[in-house]
Amino acid sequence: MKKWLILMTAAVIVAASLPLHAAAEAPYEAYTYNYYRDSVPLPEPFLPERAVSGEDLGLDAFKSPNDLFVDKNGDIYILDSGSSRIVVTDGNWKLKRVVDGFQQNGAPSSFANPGGIFVHDNGDMYIADTDNSRIVVLDGSGELKSMIENPQSDILPANFKFAPVKLTVDGAGRVFVVARGVYEGLMQFDETGVFMGYVGTISVTQTFSDKLWRRLATKAQRQTMQLFIPTEFSSVDIDHKGFVYATSVDPTSDTTIKRLNPSGQDVLKRFGYFPVRGDVRYRQFGNNAGPSRLTDIKVIGGGMYTALDSFRGRLFTYNDEGELLYAFGGKGTQLGVFNTPVAVEMAGDKLLVLDRGKNNVVVFKPTLFGSSVHKATTLRYDGNDTEAVAIWRDVLRMNSNYDIAYLGIGKSLLMEQRNKEAMEYFELGMQRKYYSIAFKRYRREVLQEHFGGIMTGALTLVLAFVAYRLTRKWRRRASKHEAGAL
Amino acid sequence: MKLEHYKYPFHVILHPFDGFWDMKYEGKGKVRIALIIVAMMVLNVVLQRQFAGFLVNFNDPRLLNSLDDIQYTVLPFLLFCIANWAITTLMEGEGKFSEIVMATGYALLPLVLINLPLTYISRFMTMEETAFYYLFNALGVLWFLYLLFVGVMTVHQYTPFKTIMTLLLTVIAMGVVVFLGTLLFSMAVQMYYFVVDIYRELIFRM
Repeated sequence: MKKWLILMTAAVIVAASLPLHAAAEAPYEAYTYNYYRDSVPLPEPFLPERAVSGEDLGLDAFKSPNDLFVDKNGDIYILDSGSSRIVVTDGNWKLKRVVDGFQQNGAPSSFANPGGIFVHDNGDMYIADTDNSRIVVLDGSGELKSMIENPQSDILPANFKFAPVKLTVDGAGRVFVVARGVYEGLMQFDETGVFMGYVGTISVTQTFSDKLWRRLATKAQRQTMQLFIPTEFSSVDIDHKGFVYATSVDPTSDTTIKRLNPSGQDVLKRFGYFPVRGDVRYRQFGNNAGPSRLTDIKVIGGGMYTALDSFRGRLFTYNDEGELLYAFGGKGTQLGVFNTPVAVEMAGDKLLVLDRGKNNVVVFKPTLFGSSVHKATTLRYDGNDTEAVAIWRDVLRMNSNYDIAYLGIGKSLLMEQRNKEAMEYFELGMQRKYYSIAFKRYRREVLQEHFGGIMTGALTLVLAFVAYRLTRKWRRRASKHEAGAL
Repeated sequence: MKLEHYKYPFHVILHPFDGFWDMKYEGKGKVRIALIIVAMMVLNVVLQRQFAGFLVNFNDPRLLNSLDDIQYTVLPFLLFCIANWAITTLMEGEGKFSEIVMATGYALLPLVLINLPLTYISRFMTMEETAFYYLFNALGVLWFLYLLFVGVMTVHQYTPFKTIMTLLLTVIAMGVVVFLGTLLFSMAVQMYYFVVDIYRELIFRM
């Protein structure tokens, strides 16, 4: 018996001293913000799998690539701007073809520092050929289909130079373009390439100190002051419903991510604790200070979208309600952190990030935590709250500090009229609005259940009080009579 | 102390002019009662911060500390009394320090009376009803301020205008006291380390 005990103890000690079998260590810490504005560590939602460079594909190295796109068949398009070519691979990174030009009226034509690429579901490639001031549309075989150049309109200035940077196309073939030097919003072209107008103008915000300065300055000083012009958009993407997601780099704005409806209004839901703008807690002065610079956005389905912060090299994924699901990434030289990330894409369940500084594409594969969060969010988005609950419970086992999971379970319980349990989950998830709803229902339930008891108690109390007053009155009168008698 | 001493604060908060007058000239107030009310106030603050309903309680539970709550209730109370005493002594106030303590302590009673039950009731409120929570909270504060005003006025035999002036000056004096206290503390620390450094220097050289 004693020997057995010693053996057991030894085994336990040995087991404890062995390193836990953990997945590959990530060079970053994932986090989200809790109710108190603290960044709370999360299990990594994605782990870097590999980096794909030009050499890996059997080509010469990429030269400052600018954009990346994954079409609906899973083919990957890398816009290798420095070498003026488009590298197309299949989903397993097997080279399919390289497009480095096209025939225009019988003469070969090529790209000049193209900024963005979009591939339509029908296979058409839209390339924002920035330095050639045009948008080139090639069909699936690389033949020129049409071209958008020289937009004509009364609202464009006479010396307007068209420099498209990023673009996206909706189901009907309308093209939304981010153009350099255009502050009025996104340029919208119809399916024949005619300029239709601007959508989603960013409003100018003037801070109080700006106003004060302007007031104090003399007229001559005011003329040399910086103009208050709105910021440009930095990238666009489109979801399956035809809503355009756009990011802008505006350090003073709380709405750097916008979701534009067809009439150009921003309809992004912002129900989370904090504004949808990347980091909400950052240094104000010194090194690495300032808000996130969101330079790319990708709609990843289930109402979720991922925004790329090129300043600190982080990826932020939000759900359809504007709640931050997770943030991860960073700057550095290891696999999984970036030098100059410029584009983010989703290929299947994997996340691709194009790094212009490192001239490669980093492939991230989801962990159990990441894929569970995605699955549960998608289920909830589609209205299958009950199915989502089981997954949310798994998520909570992996990370019991995850407010969104509590919220998800709470909402489902609320729908099943399990109000008391729902209250508990809403309190854990710090959701006062939903807590109030659950509590209201629960209170009504309790009151209805104990209506008889409560009324009896109240009535008894009233009767007892009345009796007490009557006796006192009666006694007083009696003593007065006595006094009067004496 | 007799029962009437315990009942007297309730008379004061409902009939402040009468109550504070009798407190000063008929000796009906007791400093001990005032301190009991302050203790109740501490209890009230601790309970409210910890146990007020989820919908009205925005405190970070990780930062709740009852010792801090005691400090932040008792010290301002003492600070106010001292500052007010200092100011009114210079401004021909007739009140003694014990009377200032009594007036301030008795004036706190409505806050205790309203907030203690309110903390409990707030646990049964929905979002729409929390407006009443804030309403009653505000009423308590207003009642307290009114009593403080009347108390100071009666205790020092001031006109209303002079009362307001002294109250404002009291707030400034509180700031001055805090500033001087901090200054004194930091100087004391520096002097202490000066001595310690000399001692160390001597030890190392000998």
